[in-house]
Amino acid sequence: MSVIAPKFRLGYLIKGLTDNIFWIIVILTLVGLPVVQIVLIYIDFPIIDGEIWNPFRVLDAITHPERALPLVKSFMQTDFFKVAAFPGFGFAALIAAATIFVERKLLAKLQLRVGPFYCGKVEGILQLMADGLKLISKEIIIPAKADKPLFWAAPVLFAATAGAFVALIPVAPGWVVADIDLGLLAVFAVIGFFPIITIVSAWSANSKFPFIGGIRALYQMVSFEIPLILSLLGIVMLTGTLNLMEIVESQASFPWIIFMPIGAIVFFICILAELERIPFDLPEAESEIVAGWLTEFSGMMYGLVQLGSYLKLYAFAALFVVLFLGGWNGPWFYPMEPIAEVITDGVVLMPGALTLEIEGGLLFSQEMINGLIWFVLKTVGVILVILIPRGVFPRIRIDLLLQIGWYKLIVLAFINIFIALALVYSGIIGPGGIL
Amino acid sequence: MSGQVYPKDTKVLPGLQLEKVDDRIMTLNVGPQHPGSGHMRIIIKVDGDYIVHCDPDPGYVHRGEEKMAEYRNYITNIPHLERPVIHDSCNILYPYCLGVEELLGIEVSERAKYIRVIAAELNRCVYIQYWLAIYGIFLGHSTMFMWPVGDRELMIDLLDKMTGARVTHAYFVPGGVRNDIPANFEDMCLRQVNYFEKRLKEYADVFYDNPILISRTKDTGVLSREDAIKLGTTGSVLRASGVDFDIRKKEPYDVYEELDFQTNVLKEGDSYARSKIPWLDMLESCRIIRDALQKMPKSGSVRVKLKPKPKAGDTEVYRRVESGRGSLGMHIVSRNNPQPYRLKISVPSFRNLIAMPHLLTGEKLGNLPPVYWSLNYWPVEADR
Amino acid sequence: MSSTDSTEIEKSDDSSLVSDSDKSLSDAISKKFSNVEIAYVKPDRIRVNVKREEIIDVASFIRDELNFDHAESVSGVDYPEDKQIEVVYHLGSYTNKSLEKKILALATRTPREDNPNPGNDSTKLPSLRDVFPSVSFHERECFEMLGVYFDGNPDNRRLLLPEDWADIPPLRKDFAIKGR
Repeated sequence: MSVIAPKFRLGYLIKGLTDNIFWIIVILTLVGLPVVQIVLIYIDFPIIDGEIWNPFRVLDAITHPERALPLVKSFMQTDFFKVAAFPGFGFAALIAAATIFVERKLLAKLQLRVGPFYCGKVEGILQLMADGLKLISKEIIIPAKADKPLFWAAPVLFAATAGAFVALIPVAPGWVVADIDLGLLAVFAVIGFFPIITIVSAWSANSKFPFIGGIRALYQMVSFEIPLILSLLGIVMLTGTLNLMEIVESQASFPWIIFMPIGAIVFFICILAELERIPFDLPEAESEIVAGWLTEFSGMMYGLVQLGSYLKLYAFAALFVVLFLGGWNGPWFYPMEPIAEVITDGVVLMPGALTLEIEGGLLFSQEMINGLIWFVLKTVGVILVILIPRGVFPRIRIDLLLQIGWYKLIVLAFINIFIALALVYSGIIGPGGIL
Repeated sequence: MSGQVYPKDTKVLPGLQLEKVDDRIMTLNVGPQHPGSGHMRIIIKVDGDYIVHCDPDPGYVHRGEEKMAEYRNYITNIPHLERPVIHDSCNILYPYCLGVEELLGIEVSERAKYIRVIAAELNRCVYIQYWLAIYGIFLGHSTMFMWPVGDRELMIDLLDKMTGARVTHAYFVPGGVRNDIPANFEDMCLRQVNYFEKRLKEYADVFYDNPILISRTKDTGVLSREDAIKLGTTGSVLRASGVDFDIRKKEPYDVYEELDFQTNVLKEGDSYARSKIPWLDMLESCRIIRDALQKMPKSGSVRVKLKPKPKAGDTEVYRRVESGRGSLGMHIVSRNNPQPYRLKISVPSFRNLIAMPHLLTGEKLGNLPPVYWSLNYWPVEADR
Repeated sequence: MSSTDSTEIEKSDDSSLVSDSDKSLSDAISKKFSNVEIAYVKPDRIRVNVKREEIIDVASFIRDELNFDHAESVSGVDYPEDKQIEVVYHLGSYTNKSLEKKILALATRTPREDNPNPGNDSTKLPSLRDVFPSVSFHERECFEMLGVYFDGNPDNRRLLLPEDWADIPPLRKDFAIKGR
């Protein structure tokens, strides 16, 4: 008969526990506390309302939301928060995770299946977590003849570049990680990294199918980047700026898709190709070249590439919204001003216990919440339109794809540019136009 | 095992060839562990995106069915003979039963013949649905993978009611079928076949009329009429190249000559036509099943009991039927034994395999899955 | 080796069912080639036994004059007591309407050696690949399964068996399955 611990004795257990507690206390006292002290010396504490915060005030603030709120508000203005959480990585990853779930359920419904069902009780909502855990727990296998540093770097670079792309997207008035004047140019620059990363990873794997997949990805991305850039030139001409925030603000009365439907169509097809989604998933064509340039990736390396590609999906969809659908602009449906009682009486968090008196709403302004809801709605809509072809179309062939890219889309993109030029020179819209 | 072991020089194994590595030509092993190969290997050489050489290498699921058949008597051969293509198990047993009946001089009852035809047509639909599913996923069309696999259950249910097993039926025996069909089978069969036919017509909207599919498979892997005849291809490959040849029409077995159906022939000979013929065949199968249900005698014996271990005389027989993939023939040599002296199964997949190097050489790499799978090739059957 | 004295297949009795077209086919062959034996004429099935020296001539005649255009199957049968291996080509026609239901079995025999050395012993036959291109893979299979080398087939490699198979050809009668 087998038992779990054949030589179990209570004394040993107690001794082990006491030993652990002892060493934890010793290490905390000798190492942890000095480190905390040293770090506190070098950290600049925020100055809120003319007062310098210190660790003791932070600890004090935790006890009451009213005192914590200014701290949280100031924290939300830091670059770290913007990059890691809200308009940046965390927000995008959340939408990406929701996208994966929606994609699987939507595809399942199209195909008369149920999709993820068991994990998480409610319609398999935790399936993605289970998949992530599985990927993390898997062994990472590197081909023996691979160029190891490059092979390791490729997935990280891919995810990082996708994150950089996300950082350029403005999601609400004033909420963008990197608000730069040449925002659209920066987007093109970041997109230009993807083929390089793809070919580097394909080359470093030193295997035939990734190599073919990498070459295909290179062809596809390079040939579709040109119509992608050209299709956005019209907007730049009409708005006269490359700053994405200003482009969004220019669409306060009408979105650009009304004047440039051709550009929007070209841009949408280019998005599908850049994202390697069906019908343009040639670099990962399963039945032809196994998994294309992803063939040799295993475990979390594959997970990182998948994360990157879904971040990319969000970023492109958001870019489409920003450029053509008016970004956060939309009719007000959220109350324009905070509710009067909130300003005068505050919010009752726990009835009878806590009353907060805050000016201008809790954390976000009303304008920002309204804009954000519009932005998310539009983005999710675009993502759904990007996902649906997967259930409807088969995969296209590489020569047909390149033909579409070089002969058809570029011509259409030029037509779009001429339309924009006509609009500008006839003085209807654009700098100094009627509208 | 007796006999001399060969080759004497074990360093040089037949079949293994070492080649000079070329800078330009890249050799790819598509299979046996490749999502787009099935249980076989296709050794292809590509120059850029073009396949310049193609060498199919079947045999990964070779089970020696022909050798096994020589050790078992005519009745016990039935269950293992259907193993090469379990999705089409009625049709692979059909020529065997016809041949053994001819050897032993048995006349099958009229009702059994109709039941056989119904089972064979249901099984043809089951096979073609499975094939179509894989054709869909080979082209990256995941909906076309799920739909046929789901709708296939209708036919599998019917066969389950009929035979008692979902896929490996072992239903046909020399002398008829193993058991009679259940009492309420005809209504149920009619209902499900009608629904099945309705579903089949929806496939055209999502798959066969899809512009991307058409642009991708039209004019790829064109097999001319002359080549199709010369290479001895059969079934959907032959009929897609404009040859009107269907064993059910040309050499009717059992009651096919009394039933109302037509042969589907297309002239193009490309992989689109080859993929469309089986779909049209399924629609014809629905017609055949409905017609057979109507004309079937409502009662009667379904099986002629044989004496145990029957012996056939010193003779031979070659019988063939139209299976889901094409003409499936069995050459049974009998030498007055309870066992066949030699049983050669001439399978359509093996015969269509000859067309593969012919079609794939000169094609683009992206055309490999549609051209390969449009050959209606079933690796397990080809290996036997 | 002679194909006449070793055949076990009796002539068919039910000559009443045999149509005139079957008769005329067999007559055409026996008129053209004197030492070809018509083994049987059954309804839609004709079997012709030929010597291996003249199989190519007979096959060319069947293709060109009788319009049989493809091979359905090539089956090899081992006859250890005769020390011979028989190869049967089942020929059919797609182009000729009257021949569509007929199968012509063209059989030939080759000497068999007790210690086979496939490819290097006397078990050889001329290949019909140039006459019927459809036999090429069937002949490859016949070579590996029975050790019959086909002279003139450029591709006599293994097909179904593994590359390192190092036993006698498995479809010979002296290759016994274990436990049977």
